[in-house]
Amino acid sequence: MKVSYLLWAVLVLPAAAGGACLLLRSVRAALLWVVVAVGAASAVAAAAAWSVFTGGPIEAGAGWLYLDALSAYHLLLLHAVFLLSSIYAYSYFRREASFGAAQARRFGALWMGSLAAMALVLVSNNLGIVWVGVEATTLLTAFLICTHVSPSSLEATWKYLIMCSVGVAFAFIGTLLVAASAGSSHLATGDALLWTHLRAVAANLDPATLKMGFIFLLVGYGTKTGLVPMHNWLPDAHSQAPAPVSAVFSGFLLNTALYCILRYVPLVEIATKNSHWALDLLVGFGVLSILIAGAFIVFQHDAKRLLAYHSVEHMGIIALGVGLGGLGTFAAMFHVLNHSLCKSLGFCSAGRLGQMYGTHDIAQMAGSAHDAPVWGRGFLLSLLALIGLAPFAIFMSEFQILKAAADRSAFGIMTLFLAGTGVVFVGALRHAIGAAWDPPVRHPTPEHAGVVDRALVLVPLAILLVLGLWMPESLRLALNQAADVIRGLPQKGGF
Amino acid sequence: MNELIDALMVLLVLMNLRLLGSSRLAACIRIVATEGIALGLLPLLLVWSQTSASSVEPGLSGRMIFLSVASVLTRGVLFPWLLLKAQRDAKVRREAEPFLSYPLSIIAGVLTLVLSFWLRSRLPPSFASGPPLLVPVALSTILVGLLVVVSRRLAISQVLGYIVMENGIYVLGLALVREIPALVEMGVLLDAFVAVFVMSIVTHHISRQFDHIDVDQMDSLKG
Repeated sequence: MKVSYLLWAVLVLPAAAGGACLLLRSVRAALLWVVVAVGAASAVAAAAAWSVFTGGPIEAGAGWLYLDALSAYHLLLLHAVFLLSSIYAYSYFRREASFGAAQARRFGALWMGSLAAMALVLVSNNLGIVWVGVEATTLLTAFLICTHVSPSSLEATWKYLIMCSVGVAFAFIGTLLVAASAGSSHLATGDALLWTHLRAVAANLDPATLKMGFIFLLVGYGTKTGLVPMHNWLPDAHSQAPAPVSAVFSGFLLNTALYCILRYVPLVEIATKNSHWALDLLVGFGVLSILIAGAFIVFQHDAKRLLAYHSVEHMGIIALGVGLGGLGTFAAMFHVLNHSLCKSLGFCSAGRLGQMYGTHDIAQMAGSAHDAPVWGRGFLLSLLALIGLAPFAIFMSEFQILKAAADRSAFGIMTLFLAGTGVVFVGALRHAIGAAWDPPVRHPTPEHAGVVDRALVLVPLAILLVLGLWMPESLRLALNQAADVIRGLPQKGGF
Repeated sequence: MNELIDALMVLLVLMNLRLLGSSRLAACIRIVATEGIALGLLPLLLVWSQTSASSVEPGLSGRMIFLSVASVLTRGVLFPWLLLKAQRDAKVRREAEPFLSYPLSIIAGVLTLVLSFWLRSRLPPSFASGPPLLVPVALSTILVGLLVVVSRRLAISQVLGYIVMENGIYVLGLALVREIPALVEMGVLLDAFVAVFVMSIVTHHISRQFDHIDVDQMDSLKG
């Protein structure tokens, strides 16, 4: 079979499965169908990514679809997060009496549609289609936030829709400007939006136009990434959405938008002769996000909003890592993996605790490590891993980012980074300990955690633990290949 | 042909100012629909003017006519239909007091125009090709849309602002990138349509849950 078919399958499979979901009759069937379909899509994505990591980039559809190490790596993560969250969604929604068959059908269709839209962003070579994909994810996921229609979920949905649509519209202006910057490079007109073509002639792009475009892109896609000061929608949407949806939002929707920004970094850097202009902008937004999020984390009392502000912080850390360059780019790619895994676990745990306690207030969940041994401890450990406790993998990636800052002798940035993560560490540790071991305030409904629930907690934690202690050689190579795309280096290919 | 394009651009500016100055929702929706129809015709005029200027450029293609028709139908017929329906559902006729009063909004609208012309003069020469009014009017339209989104309180008005912004971006796209591939253009149009569709459904839910569509009053989520 030709590998280029895999790229089509990555798009068509989830879209078709989402359509088929509308025909199912029961809640159980719809939710199971989602798990099976996401599983099948994951297998296809894994095959495509494997082929990229061993044999170099794949093209399909006359150059409109393209998968290189950066997108293959993100594609793998996308499917990992969706697989985890789909399995979790099955056990989560089955416990909600108000979740009817019609809702389940709609949820399944939108869920698979979102997967298809995010995959479209990752496998498109045409930057215009990338934009179309990002906007499509906004529209498809909007109804997922208000799966349960209530005043506050509608408020969150509206804020999300307007802020992200307007923000992403800015990104389209940026895309147009980037295409216009190729005007002097004698591209065949139809190719002016293809990333591979722009990358090939990057040295001849008009720097002034390109820089202007990059600012629009950073603000536009940055809104959806949740970078401060464009992050206002994020805590509302994350806290109001049902937990499986929050897990996908935080675990990968933000990364999808960040990925779009990363695509443009090598173009700008090459066109401006490695002036670090784009990278410095990323450092600025990154540090700002870490500091502001830190301040909000300390005073947070809602478990899901707490996790949402952690997302802002971690998107900032990833942006900072990429901005530092060198080892930092590698560490940022590693951090993407760690954060997505850890955050999916965090939202899954917080969601189930919320169902058991009937509230997301952290103070009300006191004593959860004892009363809810699986999800309570899952929440505790995910928070500990998130704030960078050794030996979990997030500690390693943050340490590497620190080292990258030291390599560049950027001691001011280092200090700010340490201050921000320090505040987060202390603030979140207090919340985590309180939720786990304080004397109970409420009596939750009993937990009834099955084998699958336990696996959902243990598998991400085990991966985070192992990666914190030892990194497999193949993962190191894959991360380096992905980082090389951002650094603007040629693809070496092959494990 | 350039005169016709210039006239269209002036019409767009006047429409924007009228939108900023009117409080009746139905009138606002019609203004935006008129803008949409005018913009749908713009690519045809552009190609026409180029063909008459030089014989090298290709003339009208079926693809362009199709896109034009799709654009006119979406922006001129579907959008107003969806929004007027949402407005009837919510039983509102007028915008409540916006954060920026109407006279001030119009002044701000004029200022966006000044700013846009100034920006145009600062832009690199690669933008100089094509009719001179295209880029500044596009920028001004985008800013006016943004102004409407942030200064109006009703959900429907914010949707209108979003559409005006999209209109501006559409003009900018025509000015900057001559040949956007048809597939991309279709995708963008489809996204705009779905966005307005989704927003009008959410508006419907909001009016049922809250008995109003004043999104400024939805402020329970904080911190």
